[in-house]
Amino acid sequence: MSDSDNIASGSTTGDNTVGAANDVAVDIRHVVKRFHTDRGEDVTALNDINFAIRRHDFITVVGRSGCGKTTLLNMLAGFEKPTEGEILIGGEKIAGPSPKRGVVFQKPQLYPWLNVQRNVEFGMKVQGVDAASRARTAKEYLHIVGLSDAADRKPYELSGGMQQRAQIARVLAADPDLVLMDEPFGALDALTRENLQVELRRIWQEKRKTVFFITHSVDEAIFLGTRVIVLSSHPGTVLMDIPVDIPRDPERPEDIEAVRSTREYRELVTRVDAAIHQ
Amino acid sequence: MTAVSIPAGKVKERISSIAPEPGNNAVARRKLPVGKAQGLVSLLVFVAAWWAVTAAKLVNPLYLPSPGAVWNAFVRANTCNPIAAGSTRIVCGVQQYFLWQHLLMSLERIGVGLALSIVVGVVLGFVLSGVRWLNRLIMPYINFVRALPPLGYIGLLIVWFGIGDTTKIWLLFLAAFPPIVLATIDGLKSVNRDRINSALSLGANRAQLVALVMFPSALPSVLNGIRLAVGFAWTTVVAAELNNGIPGIGALAYLSGTEMNTPLTIACILVIGVAALVLDGIIQLVIRVLTPWVGKE
Repeated sequence: MSDSDNIASGSTTGDNTVGAANDVAVDIRHVVKRFHTDRGEDVTALNDINFAIRRHDFITVVGRSGCGKTTLLNMLAGFEKPTEGEILIGGEKIAGPSPKRGVVFQKPQLYPWLNVQRNVEFGMKVQGVDAASRARTAKEYLHIVGLSDAADRKPYELSGGMQQRAQIARVLAADPDLVLMDEPFGALDALTRENLQVELRRIWQEKRKTVFFITHSVDEAIFLGTRVIVLSSHPGTVLMDIPVDIPRDPERPEDIEAVRSTREYRELVTRVDAAIHQ
Repeated sequence: MTAVSIPAGKVKERISSIAPEPGNNAVARRKLPVGKAQGLVSLLVFVAAWWAVTAAKLVNPLYLPSPGAVWNAFVRANTCNPIAAGSTRIVCGVQQYFLWQHLLMSLERIGVGLALSIVVGVVLGFVLSGVRWLNRLIMPYINFVRALPPLGYIGLLIVWFGIGDTTKIWLLFLAAFPPIVLATIDGLKSVNRDRINSALSLGANRAQLVALVMFPSALPSVLNGIRLAVGFAWTTVVAAELNNGIPGIGALAYLSGTEMNTPLTIACILVIGVAALVLDGIIQLVIRVLTPWVGKE
């Protein structure tokens, strides 16, 4: 698939494909995913999904459980293939998992035989980065997620929130273009969750990553995202694809209370809630 | 030999998961000696009862010798003594070897048989869990061997390999490798899909995935398989040594019985049992050191 194909077919991908092809990180076109159940039935998990992710987008996807959010993420990661349609990255079809697309799993997938530092170094190690640069980069990301003091500890000696921070550091240290996150804060207590939301938003700004973030919390989706996509259930289709335009204090853009107290935030919550419950 | 039907890789480690917490230290410190004292008391009661039964001459000493007689047989089997009271002819140990040499020889056979079965079992487990058609082809035979009691095919092995150590090593190998194969396959099969995907999306290639993620993930199951295999090998060693097994603790236990030397037979049985417990304790320790995360995730 060449670049010209990408541009030429831009008009067929629906209203959400805006801007020059260069800005488009991911192009999802008419994606359908069907599964065979054990009883021999065909279940359509996702139906005709169309949208494009632009560079430095922070896309948040909300929907009830079972709406195919994770299936969509698995296809973006290259763990699964669409039944119909295609997902293009830089004009190329996704062939399989790639370190260009990091995945933060809901349950932190740290390796218990490695300490936190070596877990964070893992992506760099398998990609052949030398030991000195590995150690330096790992230190930097452990510092960013606030785990500098835990570098020598084993994953099972950390709390759930710390494990999730470590997993985020590991994914970021492998330097992906696109960060795919599957309800990463879903299992955490409210306070830890808010802290990590604020930090994630800050890291996204600082490292200029593109993020695709799944959640079932409308609040979380609107606070974090630059764009919220609402999926329906059975089959999953795009119900709503809406930019998040909330005035943020340039000095403190991650002030949760300030964001939540704006009229725009409250209106958006109402609209997204209505879309989910229709 | 009915122990062969125990499913591999299902042995849960409970002891290792107890993490000492500051508040519980005092309780833990008080509890442990109580447990040890209980074990010691039960042992003393057992020996005392044994002694009482024999001292009261309730049983013919040919059937049940006294603890003292067993102890004497144990000591004589480990030292050099006159062949009879007042005789100048000195005999060392029994059957030309000290008892500890018999034990060492059996341990050596188990060591060789087990080392072979670990290498073959783990490699075969990896191959069979990766290549499906080979699995369908070979697995039935492994299950067949696993279902056989080793005594059932020792005759055939003797025809093939003679009555020397080759047969004994083969027997121990055949008894020990199936649980290791099964445990390896089981361990690899139960590696979490997300864990595999996490490694792939961090850039790991096939070989790195297997070596750096699959192998350590399967290690707890493999080690449990090895633990079961050691048990099988130990129970098989007596059978393996029935023919031409001297030196060997299993052969000595068997021969001394056929010679009506009951004190030595019982001494051998106790040595076999204690050695098995010590061996298992060592393996549990190794498991705890190699896979400290088991039960803590």
